[in-house]
Amino acid sequence: MHIRDTTLLPLWEKVRRAERLSADDGMALFTSPDLIAVGAMAAEAQRLRSGDAVYYVLNQKIEPTNVCVLTCRFCDFAAKQGDARAYEMSTDEIVARLTPEIREVHITGGMPPDWPWERYLEIVRAVRARVPDADIKAFTAVEIDFFHKKFRMSVEQVLRELQAAGLQTMPGGGAEIFSERVRRRLFPQKIGARAWLDIHRTAHRLGIPTNSTMLYGHIETLRERVTHMVRLRELQDETGGFLTFIPLAFQSGATGIKPPGVFTSATDDLRTIAVSRLMLDNIPHIKAYWVMLTEEVASVALNFGADDIDGTVGGEKIAHDAGAVSPMTLAADRLTRLITDAGKIPVERDAHYNPLRVHAAGVVGKIPYLNSVPFYTAFGDSRFRILPVVPRRMGMLAARGELDAGPFSLMDYLSQEESMELLGWCIATRDQVKSVMLFSRGGWRDLEGRRIGITDDTATSVHLLRVLLEHKYGVHATLERLHPGVNSYAGFDAVLLIGDEALRRNKYGLNGFELVYDLAREWYEWQKLPFVFAVWAARKAVPADARQEIAALLGRSLALCGSDFIPAAGAHGRRIGLTDGETQEYLEGFNYSLGEREREAIAVFRRLALPSGRRADGARRPKEVR
Amino acid sequence: MTAAEICAKALAGERLTAGEGLTLIARASLLELGEAASAIRYRHNPGERVTFHVDTNPNYSNICNVDCIFCAFYRHAGDEGAYTHTVDEMIASFKRAAAGGVTTILLQGGVNPALPLDYYLELVSRTAAEVPGVTPHFFSTSEILGMARVARLSVPDVLRRLWDAGLRTIPGGGAEILSDRVKRKISHLKGTSEDWLGVMREAHRIGYRTTATMMYGHLETDEDIIAHLESVRALQDETRGFTAFIPWSFKPGNTPLEKIIPRYATPVRYLQMIALARVYLDNVPHIQASWFSEGKKTGQIALHFGADDFGGTLQEEHVHEAANFVNRTSTGECIRLIHEAGFDAVQRTTLYDVLRVFERAAVPAEEGAV
Repeated sequence: MHIRDTTLLPLWEKVRRAERLSADDGMALFTSPDLIAVGAMAAEAQRLRSGDAVYYVLNQKIEPTNVCVLTCRFCDFAAKQGDARAYEMSTDEIVARLTPEIREVHITGGMPPDWPWERYLEIVRAVRARVPDADIKAFTAVEIDFFHKKFRMSVEQVLRELQAAGLQTMPGGGAEIFSERVRRRLFPQKIGARAWLDIHRTAHRLGIPTNSTMLYGHIETLRERVTHMVRLRELQDETGGFLTFIPLAFQSGATGIKPPGVFTSATDDLRTIAVSRLMLDNIPHIKAYWVMLTEEVASVALNFGADDIDGTVGGEKIAHDAGAVSPMTLAADRLTRLITDAGKIPVERDAHYNPLRVHAAGVVGKIPYLNSVPFYTAFGDSRFRILPVVPRRMGMLAARGELDAGPFSLMDYLSQEESMELLGWCIATRDQVKSVMLFSRGGWRDLEGRRIGITDDTATSVHLLRVLLEHKYGVHATLERLHPGVNSYAGFDAVLLIGDEALRRNKYGLNGFELVYDLAREWYEWQKLPFVFAVWAARKAVPADARQEIAALLGRSLALCGSDFIPAAGAHGRRIGLTDGETQEYLEGFNYSLGEREREAIAVFRRLALPSGRRADGARRPKEVR
Repeated sequence: MTAAEICAKALAGERLTAGEGLTLIARASLLELGEAASAIRYRHNPGERVTFHVDTNPNYSNICNVDCIFCAFYRHAGDEGAYTHTVDEMIASFKRAAAGGVTTILLQGGVNPALPLDYYLELVSRTAAEVPGVTPHFFSTSEILGMARVARLSVPDVLRRLWDAGLRTIPGGGAEILSDRVKRKISHLKGTSEDWLGVMREAHRIGYRTTATMMYGHLETDEDIIAHLESVRALQDETRGFTAFIPWSFKPGNTPLEKIIPRYATPVRYLQMIALARVYLDNVPHIQASWFSEGKKTGQIALHFGADDFGGTLQEEHVHEAANFVNRTSTGECIRLIHEAGFDAVQRTTLYDVLRVFERAAVPAEEGAV
């Protein structure tokens, strides 16, 4: 990569090695004249995380009322009771706005002086009942704080009751900028940084993932922007509960802080997106919020580190009242076109960033774990595009024809065997694997009749666990599926984790679960065979030349890795807390070539996991728990 | 070669082949191409400065007989709304523009066969005599070909007559895409690629300086775009007469082509075109980005993708306006947009002589307002 501003070279080295950038590094990124280099570094950081995917969601925003007890200088949305503009929606009116295809309902609004607590819970319950498949993302930290004070309940109690009513995630609004100087001048009535962070910390602890935001382009300094990012990063280190960061460009409108019509510059918007991708190394996604950025800047931002473009958005009153120039609603096809035109794969997501639909051709799946990194080194310049997706979802996408090829979880392959062609590569163990782990409070035989929390990410490891429990140890336990994202493991006697999460927990431990079993080793000691977690396959519907090309690219990728340690793996390992030595040792435990012993292992596993002709796709599904 | 290797080759100062240009369009990531273009831009035009000029784009007539399907501006003689201004009217409007600070007048019309060559010569000579301080930047190649037909003169003769009247620079419009396959579809009466290149060649030989343009985002292929750049580069090797290259996207509003191409090309495509032009056209001094043709925000961003010029302030403009694409600025806003993008703004003449430098304020990083 060519970097004109040579002062950025040490930062680029850090980014490539997945080392953390300092606050001063952040300042250097904000002040470098080489905007393209800053963007290119961010684009690379994004590619390592989300491949070519850009996410959107079919969402609807509900603002139950604009009546608000606060008076913030930068807000054109709020009204006082009795104002001509003031409105309050009934629960029926709210529910009537929702259409069945919606995947995410975003509820925020003003803070009226006289609504009872029950009214909020009623709204959440009614929305949950109306669109049971949609995720409810509701109430900013400012509103949660308001409930906490007005209804004299702890923040935790407020969140627990909302959660019980159906809230699943929280939006990131109200963070504004973490600066007392700015807060005193612009929004003295709003909660400060500490309260905002505390509320999000509590939410994360309760298993409520949240978003994070930063309002920029008003009177804040660049140093204040960097400080804001660093504080979010620190909380994320602690909890891991942030899904997304959304830089919000200040809309001057009639707020009087800036002259009407003066917006942040396009270059500032792009740079802020890029710097946030680089500084927030532990937050999975960066959102280019098109409603505020305009479609033209949002589409460019997808090349500057953003991998999320929000969604269809029902009624964006707050930005609209302040004069945002984007149209109120973009139909989903308009969003997918915008993403395609930016050179990316449009991926419809759920609240946890699981892909629901993929709108592109030539897509190759990537398991987003360390053990899959070696497969992709040669794909950079190819015509294929990479979509990171957990194994279980990869099978679903292939079944719908939305994915050409990938390393399919063995159970998913077995369920679609007739329509798939093997490509000669797999993810198999030599003896142990360290990334399919059972963290348990007791020994195998103590698990009789107990509850085991199981990963939502794959079926194969779950079947392996079942086979080991039932056939090796003769134990029957209840398996309950964990939901994606933040989970509380407190109610379980054992937890099955895979991938990076298992690696991290294996290194740092999982409190209360003293015994750790490596399922691949358990299998090996029992069967004296490797275990095959995934096989590379392509759909037979994909043209033969494309299938061959993919197989050849895989061969070339693995040859590129050869005996050399690849920087991409080192960077991935560091992101999950492993040293280069640990990463290398871990990867050496895998065999990627699908040989005779691997085929034998598949046959044995098939007999045990799918006895008497039971089909893989007819496997009993464990109960879902929220 | 991979896209990265091709970028490295361009950065090493080597000329790219057509095949390599195509690989860049198809395979290079936007920022990979942008980085190469940006570095090469600073070799051609050092310093974090961006030029612009104060100009206006009036029209003397909208009567035209070439019927391009990408155009919403033209009328036939006798149509409602058809007009032709007198030379007096035009000179009066030029004087008003000059009083408002305009230094370049980009004048074009339809190709109106009712106007004699003397009309054009008078426009030029009276502008030179009566509107000092303004550079006439008049007449596209199609109009010059039209003048030659009406006056039964050769193109070089027409160009010499215009030169003698005082014209020194010619706008590069009308090139569209230098592909005869595409031209037959979108502008079959407008002539061939060689017509445009031929007029430019003759003009450069006489001593004119001109710009070169490209309109993309309609029926062209990537191969057509590279062929276009190749033609411009080859002619520039021969004549050194081009000052700048200016790409813009087709605006479909109110045009017959709107039925086939309903929307204009994206900002990402524009940035790609700007960067590609900078990397490929190793002999053209300036690449012009436009706040006007693709929007102010995209124009700002393009200044980081290889463009070193922000075009004109366009006090008056009617061709895009006819396609419902309206965008206005002022000299003050133009300077602010350049400053916000991180550059000093330099007001220039038509031929890139510096008139005035507007330095940007330092960014206060640690305290106070940004």
